[in-house]
Amino acid sequence: MLYYLIVCRSLTYAQRTAAALERAGISARTLRSPQSVSGEGCSHSVRISRRDLDMGLEVLRRTGLTPKRVFAAASDGSYMEISV
Amino acid sequence: MIYLDSAATTLQKPKSVSAAMLSALRTMASPGRGGHLPAQRAAQTAYACREAACALFGMDDSEQVVFTFNATHALNLAIRSLVKPGDTVLISGYEHNAVSRTLYAMPNVTVKVAHAPLFCPEETAGRFEELLTDEVAVVVCTHVSNVFGYILPIEDIARLCRERGVKLIVDAAQSAGCLPVSMERWGAAFVAMPGHKGLYGPQGTGLLLCANRVEPLMMGGTGSESRLQQMPDFLPDRLEAGTHNIPGIAGLLAGLRFVERVGVERIGSHETDLVDRMAEGLEEIKGVRVFAQNPGAGCQSGVLSFCVDGMDCEEVGQRLSGAGIAVRCGLHCAPLAHKSAGTLECGTVRASVSAFNTRQEIRAFIRAVAALKK
Repeated sequence: MLYYLIVCRSLTYAQRTAAALERAGISARTLRSPQSVSGEGCSHSVRISRRDLDMGLEVLRRTGLTPKRVFAAASDGSYMEISV
Repeated sequence: MIYLDSAATTLQKPKSVSAAMLSALRTMASPGRGGHLPAQRAAQTAYACREAACALFGMDDSEQVVFTFNATHALNLAIRSLVKPGDTVLISGYEHNAVSRTLYAMPNVTVKVAHAPLFCPEETAGRFEELLTDEVAVVVCTHVSNVFGYILPIEDIARLCRERGVKLIVDAAQSAGCLPVSMERWGAAFVAMPGHKGLYGPQGTGLLLCANRVEPLMMGGTGSESRLQQMPDFLPDRLEAGTHNIPGIAGLLAGLRFVERVGVERIGSHETDLVDRMAEGLEEIKGVRVFAQNPGAGCQSGVLSFCVDGMDCEEVGQRLSGAGIAVRCGLHCAPLAHKSAGTLECGTVRASVSAFNTRQEIRAFIRAVAALKK
């Protein structure tokens, strides 16, 4: 299944992000970011399904939880940054 | 044993606290340091604890809740973040050494002390108004005296700080869990508190609630921005280098949930009721000097100090200990408070209660003090 990774600056930020999405009915899972997307080293991401991206970003905009970066997972296992 | 030293550490905890700690020891690793289940459980526990603290202290951003080792650690972080060489700092006359020693250790910092008599909130607020002049950069004030249980007029002091644009650090070591503590209402820059007193967590836990930029005291791994050699500039990571005390945090979470379930107001009322009865009983004993508010004044929490004529306070403590009663004696690491109350030379005996003490215990305690005079 293809999905998006919302990269967050910290574990706590990722947990807040996931909690806000879950409260809005969007399934979200916190995980350590793959090194290829983690920027300055270790970071945490929130994984959501492709169909939830638009609504998820709107929820985060309303709650003031700005994503650091967002990546789309490709079928070959690579990640491509998308503009939000 | 009758335990009356909860102002130092609450000994009687909800059973859920030790159960949570044991479970954490057995099942949890380090939050954020791995993707495996034990790390995830630890991360969930830490996050739940931050959220529980947010709910209890009127905050909406769990990133602003920082885990510390105790209130002293939290106060050091707050003071060293705000106070710079050359600054003038205004403090109350009831501060603990956690505040005063930290300030005195800083170079070229002028400390003004708002001395005021015990249980006189209007006079205390008046002293702050008088001394909060233009050169004051930061105010540090305890919410409740750890020696006398005196509830300082923190609402008035916070309002003065807001009106004059001065940063406020509140030491909530004796109030968190038994009096309303609200970052938002006070507009404080920082509120520091222990986990092991009125929040019923274990020793080695504390919280710093932050609404201001902070400077770390300790550098190290945070599980974030690991390529950079500077500490992250965001909370809570900036102040939480190294492995977390997850068993402690799990215990603190259980304690916070207990406080939330029972209710801060109910715990506070229960403690005040016990201390009022204690004061009434002790005042009837000839030769016992009791430091208590006028009945119903609403400015004393669950802490009470007293002296026994002709007896060193440490001797009183020893004899009460022999009778199975735990109190604390001496200066309680707060010489300023004793200076304000005129007890610097003799110290006091301090009895302090928690949600778990009973009226029956207070009656037994009064009888034990009376027996000392026979």
